[in-house]
Amino acid sequence: MSLRLELREITKQFPGVLANDRVSIQVERGKVLGLLGENGAGKSTLMNILSGIYKPDSGTIIVDGEQRVFRDPAEAIEAGIGMVHQHFMLVPVFDVVESVALGAETATGPLGTFDRAAARAKIVELSKRYGLSVDPDAKIESLPVGVRQRVEILKALYRKSDVLVLDEPSAVLTPQETEELFGIIRGLASAGTSVIFITHKLHEVLEVADTITVLRRGKVVGSVKPKEADPEQLAEMMVGREVQLTVDRGQAKVGSVTLSLKGVTVLNQAGEVAVANVDLQIRAGEIVAIAGVQGNGQTELVEAVTGLRPVDSGEMTLNGESLVGASPRKISDAGVAHIPEDRSRDGMVKGMTVAENLMLNSYHRKPFSSGVTLNRSAIEAAAEKIVKDFDVRTPSIHTDIASLSGGNQQKVIVGREFSRTVSLVVAAQPTRGLDVGSIEYIHKRLVEQRDAGAAVLIVSTELDEVLALGDRIAVMFEGQIVGVLDAKDATRERVGLLMGGAAV
Amino acid sequence: MKGLRGVLSSVRLPALSILVALLVGGLVIMFSDLEVLAMIPNNPIGALGEGIGRVGAAYSALLRGAFGNPERIVEAIASGDPVELARAARPITESLLKSIPLMFVGLGVSVAFRSGEFNIGGEGQFLMGGLGATTFAIVLGGAGLPAPIVIFGTVLAGAIFGAAWGFIPGFLKVRAGSSEVITTIMLNYIASLFVFFLLSNWTLIQREDGTQPISKALADYVVIPGILPIPELRLHLGFLVALAAAVAVSWFLFRTTRGFELRTAGLNLAAARYAGMGASSSIVAAMAISGALAGMGGAFEVTGTIKQFSTVVSGGVGFTAIAIALVGGTRPSGVVATALVFGALRNGGGLMGLETSIPIDLLFFIQALVIMFIAAPNLTARIIRLPFRRKSKEAVA
Amino acid sequence: MSKSAKTNAVATHVMGAEELKALRGSRIRAFIFAIFALAAFAAATANSATIANLSLWVDTIGGTDALISFPVAIVWIGSGLVLGAVAAAQYRLGGKYRWRVGIAIASPLIVTALFTTLLAGTPANLTVLFTGTFNYAGPVAIGALAGIISERSGVLNIAIEGKFLLGALSGAVASSIFGIAIAGPIAGAVIGALVGLLLAILGLRYKVDQIVAGTVINLGAAGITTFIYLRVLQIHSEFNSPVSILPVKIPVLGDLPIVGNLLFTLSPYSYLALILVAFFTYMLFRTRWGLRLRASGEMPAAAGTVGVDVMKLRYRAMILAGALAGLAGSYLALSGTGGFGMGISAGRGFIALAALIFGAWKPWNALGAALIFGFAEAASTLLSILGVGLPPQVLLAVPYVMTIIVVAGLIGRVRGPASAGRPYEQG
Repeated sequence: MSLRLELREITKQFPGVLANDRVSIQVERGKVLGLLGENGAGKSTLMNILSGIYKPDSGTIIVDGEQRVFRDPAEAIEAGIGMVHQHFMLVPVFDVVESVALGAETATGPLGTFDRAAARAKIVELSKRYGLSVDPDAKIESLPVGVRQRVEILKALYRKSDVLVLDEPSAVLTPQETEELFGIIRGLASAGTSVIFITHKLHEVLEVADTITVLRRGKVVGSVKPKEADPEQLAEMMVGREVQLTVDRGQAKVGSVTLSLKGVTVLNQAGEVAVANVDLQIRAGEIVAIAGVQGNGQTELVEAVTGLRPVDSGEMTLNGESLVGASPRKISDAGVAHIPEDRSRDGMVKGMTVAENLMLNSYHRKPFSSGVTLNRSAIEAAAEKIVKDFDVRTPSIHTDIASLSGGNQQKVIVGREFSRTVSLVVAAQPTRGLDVGSIEYIHKRLVEQRDAGAAVLIVSTELDEVLALGDRIAVMFEGQIVGVLDAKDATRERVGLLMGGAAV
Repeated sequence: MKGLRGVLSSVRLPALSILVALLVGGLVIMFSDLEVLAMIPNNPIGALGEGIGRVGAAYSALLRGAFGNPERIVEAIASGDPVELARAARPITESLLKSIPLMFVGLGVSVAFRSGEFNIGGEGQFLMGGLGATTFAIVLGGAGLPAPIVIFGTVLAGAIFGAAWGFIPGFLKVRAGSSEVITTIMLNYIASLFVFFLLSNWTLIQREDGTQPISKALADYVVIPGILPIPELRLHLGFLVALAAAVAVSWFLFRTTRGFELRTAGLNLAAARYAGMGASSSIVAAMAISGALAGMGGAFEVTGTIKQFSTVVSGGVGFTAIAIALVGGTRPSGVVATALVFGALRNGGGLMGLETSIPIDLLFFIQALVIMFIAAPNLTARIIRLPFRRKSKEAVA
Repeated sequence: MSKSAKTNAVATHVMGAEELKALRGSRIRAFIFAIFALAAFAAATANSATIANLSLWVDTIGGTDALISFPVAIVWIGSGLVLGAVAAAQYRLGGKYRWRVGIAIASPLIVTALFTTLLAGTPANLTVLFTGTFNYAGPVAIGALAGIISERSGVLNIAIEGKFLLGALSGAVASSIFGIAIAGPIAGAVIGALVGLLLAILGLRYKVDQIVAGTVINLGAAGITTFIYLRVLQIHSEFNSPVSILPVKIPVLGDLPIVGNLLFTLSPYSYLALILVAFFTYMLFRTRWGLRLRASGEMPAAAGTVGVDVMKLRYRAMILAGALAGLAGSYLALSGTGGFGMGISAGRGFIALAALIFGAWKPWNALGAALIFGFAEAASTLLSILGVGLPPQVLLAVPYVMTIIVVAGLIGRVRGPASAGRPYEQG
């Protein structure tokens, strides 16, 4: 048992947050360390320290028994640490050879000519040796995400890294691709590479890790062997208390069809079919949750329903009225609430006040607008009420929304959308990146909307969320709805299989 | 109390920036003076004194040019003669006159900024406004219509021509994603060439002899009326319209639904789309309004101040306007205040050139420095703190 | 089974939609080309009697002319035929037809036809036209190259105009003081490099919006150069009497008839432009430096996480770009036109910007754009000297109008470096 890498008592403070608090981890040669923690537990900070992007405030990094300080990424790479970032660090217009060699190019001649042939040969050899099949001359932007991840792994191997750090690698993969990835990881480990596998998914660490270290709020709460661990215990370590896997909710009182999609096809930015011939009906008083791996058309479907993206063909009606070709404004006015997937991009305007943000979709209506001018006192009164009703923690309604926490920003959005009576709620990834308290709060509000008689469409890549909220669960794969299950029939396994495109 | 403090804190950085830029300008005056430089080897202290003296003379002329000669003003007040008083105050009214185009184009650039667009095309929009106003002044003036209608028509024509020139980059941005920075730069040159072409070939507006690219002199009848009782004081109606425009822009941006949409598009385009605001139309509208304001500036400059149109009427106003918008924090009140200061500098620069032969172009350099200091507050803080650093350390010790 | 069938259905649907759109586009193009072809034939009929008289200097002194005469109608018919062929091919072959090649062949013909028609028999000297084109294109291409290097590294560069002005002023003064020709370009490059450094400090260190930073440089350069010109150079003309850098005849090649004059007796800046464009094309696309530079312009985080010091790289690129632009600017004051003058760059820095956009951030294409713009400029000068009816402003507007057409996506789309203009935070 030889230690390849050790972090001792790493501490890193950001303004207002203690991201890492005396964190210590150990990685053995040829073993897989699973680093488990929920969003915001300090995993990414730790990895950025390990890869030389951040400098720790205190603590030491020990590589092969020798204390090291990484002043920049180059030094970490030189020490054999290879990162596979959650958001791939690949230049879209480069080809695979250029992407892999970047930063570790062999250069010849007085001008530093890039020796492409040598790099290409080495990549071909590596991909053969580790079973990472990739076309070395393909442009990155033309590759599917699963292949891009292999390019990232090749990047690390190309630099002779023998500590491979994978940050949430399964977030963009199908279950099948994830299985393939696990195979690659096992292969690498048996060839002597140490792997740090960062995730918030219990079953993944249980499956692939040799040791599991759990992080919570910047601290290590413990390390266990997978064989000795059970999921409930790990989950409790991760979130710090009994996890509520089911949301407290009564039986759905289903009414008439609110949203109806018939043969709906939607194109993505590149003009390819993203949503293919989808049929779906949502009734008043029920929650339909759409499960699926990210990038299988959910985003485009939500954009089509909310009017942000044109429907290429098919029928889409709300309470019997066609929505095809309707503007976002018209759809919103027809009683559709939308909690957008990318909160800070779509859902709010940084640089504007909480009050202004609360008015984003109603400023043009009476009593807030006379048609031409804004009625400030009405706006302020309404904003004060929403802030109070939805428990938004803000110094004032005139505070810039940018200075609020993520949970409170989401409350502003939810407050804005739910402060009027709506017949359809569309919520995309409504709890992404939030702490447990905020997640529970948002879930409760969604169920309230259902019980008030709204049809609720939830899109989530978190299987647990889908299972906890959905009265019916639809699974999207490659732009199609490959199955719709009632909540009582929906098990992890069945939904998981459908997410991967396997027939039930 | 709190309001006053707020105003003071928002004025501090711009005021400091202008001050530091003037100081650097002083250094430039000193070190570009060959006589002073020649003195340095033999008499460095004397050279320094001489240099400071000359900078003082230059800036004193600048201030007198901008605000009038204090002695003369005091005498005029003592004499109680209203005509004498007005004449003594003429530099001030001339400064206000110079600030009119700056206010209009500065407001225009600010509206564009608020919608997230960088309008470098003020120059071209200003010229097109001048062209529209000139053409209509000549056409309507010849049609025998009453003066108020002619004047209203000319200003409106200027606004429409400017709006058209602002609409193009806005439209291209929305439709094709073309960077408005590139298109407005190119449109400046196209406007200039277009105006040059018309002034050399179109007999309707070309000066009768046809030798120079200059328009006919505009008849008194179509010229914007003055607002002061003494004819030597040229300040005209355009000044009041500019102030009204500032109020209107402020009302539009902060009190109307359209203005709210425009500001939302400027801060976060995706969120504006999500909120169903028709963000594209906000961008196009903002650029057209921006161009209309610049075009009105051109109209008033040509039909109110210069009374003759040529390709040189703009004189870099589009670029000065960027400085004004940034210094004024893209707030209409700030734009008006800054335009008044810059107008005064421009006007004072004339007397500075006359008395000390220091070229007025120094002001463009100073404007560039002001933009730099405003845009890089940390840099400014360092520069300002530099001389005080030692002192403050001593105070601590 | 069913899954693959569905996927196939999806695939055909995609093709259908896209093909339809492409087909519609190609029909419209075919129609437009056909109209142009008809116009060309109409012009041929209208100008059936006109003879084009073009002359070229045979020897280097410019004494002897070689006169070329031909009927204008022939050129019109030729362009009409090419355009007609393009239209027909476009109609028959639909979206797959590569019509830009046809346009590339037709364009010079149309330009020649227009040019000779406008001259309407007046003899014109082509040598002046071509050397004028090349001499104009040289500094513009170097300026565009400066812009390419800076934008490829991820920093927007609208300050070429300002660097041209400062390069011209410093070149004139240094050349006057030292009395040797080489001092001018060197001083231009040094001052340009310093301006590049200032731009980098503002944009990279203090995170000033890069458009604002560029505006600062352009405005400041216009102000300070005019100021110094009026306050110092105009009075003390000894500081504004630079050693001119005149066209150089290349040994042997320069003595060839006709081409010796056309191609081998040019300003050194034109040859330098050619060398620099070739050199930096290699550097950008074949070397380690180029790979890293392009990566930091496209996706700086990708370069940063593999240990490339993006900041340092951008600083160096900005200094290099500044030096190139300043060097190019020195030409303006040293080309034998009486030293520095107020506003001597006259927008040529922005034409360089236009060339780099028109050339889609590729050095050779930018050089091509600079040549087209140079031709427009030289032709406008020639036509106005000959007193031809075409207003010179029309040709002078060519670079600006063409740039707008390109950025508006009317003829294909250009894609600049993805991250140009965004500040980068490292660690």
